[in-house]
Amino acid sequence: MKIQPKTLLTSAAGFLVAVAAWQLVATGPMAGGPLPTVTSVAVNLAAVVVTEAFWTSLATTVGIALLGLLTSAVAGIALGILVGSFEPFRYATVAVLEFLKPIPPIVILPLVVLVLGPTGQMSWFLVFLGCLLPIIMQTVDGVHDADPVARDTARSYGLKEPEILLRVVLPSAMPFIGTAIRVAAPGALIITVVAGLLGGGPGLGQSIYQAQAGGDYPTLYALVIVLGVLGMFFQGATSAVERRMLHWHESFREAAHR
Amino acid sequence: MKTIFSTSRTSSAATAAQPGKNAMTEEIAPADTTSAPPRLDVSHLAKTYGMGDKARTVIEDLTFTVDAGEVVCIVGPSGVGKTTLLKCLAGLHPSSSGRAAIDGRTISGPPPEMALVFQDYNRSLMPWLTVRKNLMLPLRHLHLSAAELKERCDDALAAVGLSHAEHQYPWQLSGGMQQRVAIARALAYRPEILIMDEPFASVDAQTRFDLEDLCLKIRRDFNMTILVVTHDIDEAVYLADRVVVLGSKPARVLRIVDVDLPAPRDQITTRSLPEFARQRTDVLSLIKRPA
Ligand SMILES: Nc1ncnc2c1ncn2[C@@H]1O[C@H](COP(=O)(O)OP(=O)(O)OP(=O)(O)O)[C@@H](O)[C@H]1O
Ligand SMILES: [Mg+2]
Repeated sequence: MKIQPKTLLTSAAGFLVAVAAWQLVATGPMAGGPLPTVTSVAVNLAAVVVTEAFWTSLATTVGIALLGLLTSAVAGIALGILVGSFEPFRYATVAVLEFLKPIPPIVILPLVVLVLGPTGQMSWFLVFLGCLLPIIMQTVDGVHDADPVARDTARSYGLKEPEILLRVVLPSAMPFIGTAIRVAAPGALIITVVAGLLGGGPGLGQSIYQAQAGGDYPTLYALVIVLGVLGMFFQGATSAVERRMLHWHESFREAAHR
Repeated sequence: MKTIFSTSRTSSAATAAQPGKNAMTEEIAPADTTSAPPRLDVSHLAKTYGMGDKARTVIEDLTFTVDAGEVVCIVGPSGVGKTTLLKCLAGLHPSSSGRAAIDGRTISGPPPEMALVFQDYNRSLMPWLTVRKNLMLPLRHLHLSAAELKERCDDALAAVGLSHAEHQYPWQLSGGMQQRVAIARALAYRPEILIMDEPFASVDAQTRFDLEDLCLKIRRDFNMTILVVTHDIDEAVYLADRVVVLGSKPARVLRIVDVDLPAPRDQITTRSLPEFARQRTDVLSLIKRPA
């Protein structure tokens, strides 16, 4: 997975064009409006990143998003394996899961704020809930995808059901779980920020809200840019972890040995 | 090694004696207490897949036995039900009627003293584990010492000529190498009864001869009881003390051919005996005959 210099150049060119377009719009048609120029955002960004408050709020956001993702992964994988392996569990949960699937976690934000207040726990809980469902669903699919020959092999060697689930079914389901976590990762970040914006939870969301309330648009956009960069890192990091853990899987084999 | 084998058997007997536990085998009082029951006893075994309209009887009525330390080969046309039979013997699915027993105990779940080498060898290896870790997977619950674990894996890998591949992943190996990994995994388990489903189908001729001789050697060294499904009539006659010929649909035993070739067998001298040619012609004519 080596990035070609040519690809890199094209990406950089695309990015520069986008920035140039922004600057043009901000200085031309929308001059004087709420859209700040690239230069003023850059100046504010430089000013913001030297403050301690910024780093605290960044760390809080990353911490909540990661913790939410991690806890929902642990719970989601465990539940997914139960639901996927045992018929009664499946029938008991299928209606609830299908009902909850299309509901975005933001819908229950007011309720969660009411119970937990504008706290880190509130943000974490929303992230946890938001990531949980897709991880359960994908784990169930992964469990069903486990090769019956591999299971029979383990069974014929006298492995008991819990050991088969842990050592054969779980690794078989890992490609599905990996995809679910990679897809959920940016979502975790978004939910953390929205929980701060709308629910008053700590972190970048709250900082953005304060900038907005104070009419400080350049800072607002500086924070939005930070968020974009953070999202890219999040995505990159989860992809890298996935690639490392699933190096044995068909879709990563060449990558691991090139 | 003997100690390990006997421990695993006592533990299985203990499980069987406990009511309520998921017993692997059920004690059945042998009718004739004077002579030991055969190691493996298949009597009137039948297997039907599915139920109702979709029911398909694959095995009609199979009866044969395998004595301790014997090598028995099963031959028969493709689709006759050989794999189905082995899965019944390995306790992976229940038979529809009749019975299969080890030492007189009816098989009702995977017997701890048995190892099965699957026909789908590539699907039976775990792609996320290296060759060595694949070998170790079935050994975990035996609670062996680290030294014994290492010794068993080293020996098994050396036996199939794959010591150099221990840190590779199965998918980095050729089909024939993967097949040998699956065999090595069974050897490392050190079963008392080894069952193999077309185990040498993907290896080259020379390796095939080596593995056949390995099979005879482990029988000699450990008095292992070995049951091999094969498509190759020559291989069946070379390996076996007896050849069970399956045929017709649903499957029946067409005949059990006693192979009385002198031991020890040798790839060149045994195969050039007139007796060898006669035996293989016997088996071949049974298979060739339209069902
Ligand atoms: N799970 C199953 N459900 C229904 N039918 C099955 C199942 N497994 C096998 N069969 C059928 O049973 C028959 C015997 O299959 P089996 O795999 O035992 O044959 P085989 O003798 O091992 O063949 P081969 O030599 O090609 O491996 C086939 O007709 C197959 O379609
Ligand atoms: Mg078969």
